[in-house]
Amino acid sequence: MSHLSRRDLLRYSGAGLVALAAGSALSACSGTGSGGQVAGGDAATGTVTVWSWTTAAEALRGVVPAFEKENPGIKVDVQDVGNPAIWDKITVGMAAGGQGLADVLHIGCDYLPGYLEKFPGGLADLSALGADQYKDKFAQGLWPVVTGKDGKAYALPWEVNAFGFFYRQDMFEKAGIDPNTFETWDDVLAVGDRFKAANPGISLIGINKPATPSPDLDFLQALMQQQGAFYFDLKGDITLSSPAAVHALTVEKRLNDAGLIADTAGDAVWRTMLRDGKIAAGPLAAWAVHYLETKLPDQKGAWRLTRPPAATAGGKRTAIVNSTHLAVSASSPRRVAAWKFVEYALTRPESANSMFKAGGVFPALTAAHSDPMYTAPNAFYGGQPVLKTFVDLLGAGADATNYSGDFARALKLASDAQTKVFLKGADPAAVLQDAAKQLAQQTGRTLR
Amino acid sequence: MTALAPTAAPARAAAPPARNRRALLRRRALPYLLLAPALITFGVFKAYPIVASLLLSLTTGSGAATRNAGLSNYRRLLDDPLFWTALGNTAKILVVQVPLMLALALLLAVGINSALVRWRAVWRLGVFMPTVTGLVATGVMFAFLLNTEHGAVNSLLGQLGLPAVDWLGDPFWARMAIVLLLTWHYTGYNAVIYLAGLQGIPRELYEAAMVDGAGPLRRFFSITLPALRPVLLFTVVLSTIGTLQLFDEPYVLTRGGPDNATLTVSMYLYDNGFRYFDFGYASAIAYALTLIVSVLGAIQMRLMGERE
Repeated sequence: MSHLSRRDLLRYSGAGLVALAAGSALSACSGTGSGGQVAGGDAATGTVTVWSWTTAAEALRGVVPAFEKENPGIKVDVQDVGNPAIWDKITVGMAAGGQGLADVLHIGCDYLPGYLEKFPGGLADLSALGADQYKDKFAQGLWPVVTGKDGKAYALPWEVNAFGFFYRQDMFEKAGIDPNTFETWDDVLAVGDRFKAANPGISLIGINKPATPSPDLDFLQALMQQQGAFYFDLKGDITLSSPAAVHALTVEKRLNDAGLIADTAGDAVWRTMLRDGKIAAGPLAAWAVHYLETKLPDQKGAWRLTRPPAATAGGKRTAIVNSTHLAVSASSPRRVAAWKFVEYALTRPESANSMFKAGGVFPALTAAHSDPMYTAPNAFYGGQPVLKTFVDLLGAGADATNYSGDFARALKLASDAQTKVFLKGADPAAVLQDAAKQLAQQTGRTLR
Repeated sequence: MTALAPTAAPARAAAPPARNRRALLRRRALPYLLLAPALITFGVFKAYPIVASLLLSLTTGSGAATRNAGLSNYRRLLDDPLFWTALGNTAKILVVQVPLMLALALLLAVGINSALVRWRAVWRLGVFMPTVTGLVATGVMFAFLLNTEHGAVNSLLGQLGLPAVDWLGDPFWARMAIVLLLTWHYTGYNAVIYLAGLQGIPRELYEAAMVDGAGPLRRFFSITLPALRPVLLFTVVLSTIGTLQLFDEPYVLTRGGPDNATLTVSMYLYDNGFRYFDFGYASAIAYALTLIVSVLGAIQMRLMGERE
């Protein structure tokens, strides 16, 4: 390639400008661009395809035979698309106006509001199909997550993960500490040194400090949720730098400065450290009941569960760490059949509990919680009825969390803030203010 | 019959030019016909997305809520600290990784090309093997190797009496981990290109130089390097473009962390499109990247190209 003169450069950039101008003219003509939405239909029969992932998909398959028997004319095909692959698949389908989507979609609380906001008309209005009758049937705080801005329900809650405090009874006993007496995290900090002295080389909890490979924010979010706060308020304004948020990050910073938080960066490192007895407790969600039991069979009898300490004195203990839901694509030609399956799987205690047994999916349906299995003693937890603790926490009532359509962006910025506090000892208020400002700049939302 | 005759005669007379025209047309159309599959494929899978994403970069929202936004996405880009962080990271990785990798590739190529080396095919295969390894498998493997506590790399460093390195948790070392992975993966590819270039250099040049008393170093700098110039340019431009578009390695190994130290422009683009559903902004990032790639490519061509 020869000489690229200044004149050539000007000529090229001129051509670029012309192309840009032509581009904007074209897009002005095309108006809404690629906004074509596939019109669905309300057939009540046919084959309903479902996208879910791993154990949840497996659990869902378990209710299919009974459903098909009761609903002749409907066949159900549950596909394990895998997580996180499912999000790319749903996003691409939504962006294509609903083309190629399954009839029923399993969607987490972190993605549902994004789909609702960014792809209006992508999910079917379930209120029109009769979903509103189930409004009070699910754990408190979940209905707002599945409700769109128009007040219509676009999904039904399936799984709910309440926040709990799991701990190694043997290690705390060695230090003469009873975690049941913890009222706030200040109480934990007060006995931190005693714990470390009795358990050298063992950390209280583990957090993936640099957020590699993925953000580790459940603890921070739960500390905010216990105070009825989150990245956004219920109106959708940004509250990432609110006093509650700063307090939550400050609790983490103090625990870290006290040397109580181990760094679990890297794939499976947290699990390895748990297995090696390097971590004594977990501020974890309900999924951990099943997880600890299956991953750490050698530690049978050593673990216990109690209510998590509150973020502030006298504050709420309950927080819903996450929830997942089943939705129906608006582009489905058989929305009624799809809804029938969703209704069958999620609103009947029998199906909800059979799925819990099969895949460890803690049901959001409150009627399911009266099953005897929720009060049964669990040998892994020294005979403690651990599920009851979560049922009680949910019964105390969680505040609703508005994940909003910009949750993924907020999560990223909050994670960056947390990493800066852990790795560089940054000031919680300062990093959260930065993050909130960036969030406002990127999303155009109001900063409170 | 007789009445027809006069008209038939001119018709017959006019026939040859018509046939000629058809033949000419066919001759002209044939290349295009042969090119058509490639052109149509290019149009559908390359040209259309290129134009569509340009249009998309001038919109905001998605699906049915897509609105025109003019140049606001580009303005937003200028004020976005994460975009600049991503660009800075990409540049830092680029200036360390590309020269390192190409120097190593050249060294390997010269080594394998040496008359002293036996089992050349085996060496060539060995050098090229990492290139055909799947990227995700590579990433997972490196995550194991670079694990701070249990990784083979740190255990090796420990045996040499060196301190353990927090490969994926420390911002600087995380970037180095990406450099390491990239170099491991692509050095063989470039070495094979250099090898082909080396084999195209006439042996007589070396013989003449040896007769004139030039040593191996002199021969390398005065014959090998100048002769490889076009190949060098090709690999520099290709590697630069490749590194600017860096995505897979940090995606698999670090997800852009820690503290955004390995966030690259392409990763940020992906996040905006597929995690934040902000396709307009993602397209604007893509066009900003295209601009940077074009400018850098042009500069490299200018600096390293043949002098007229």
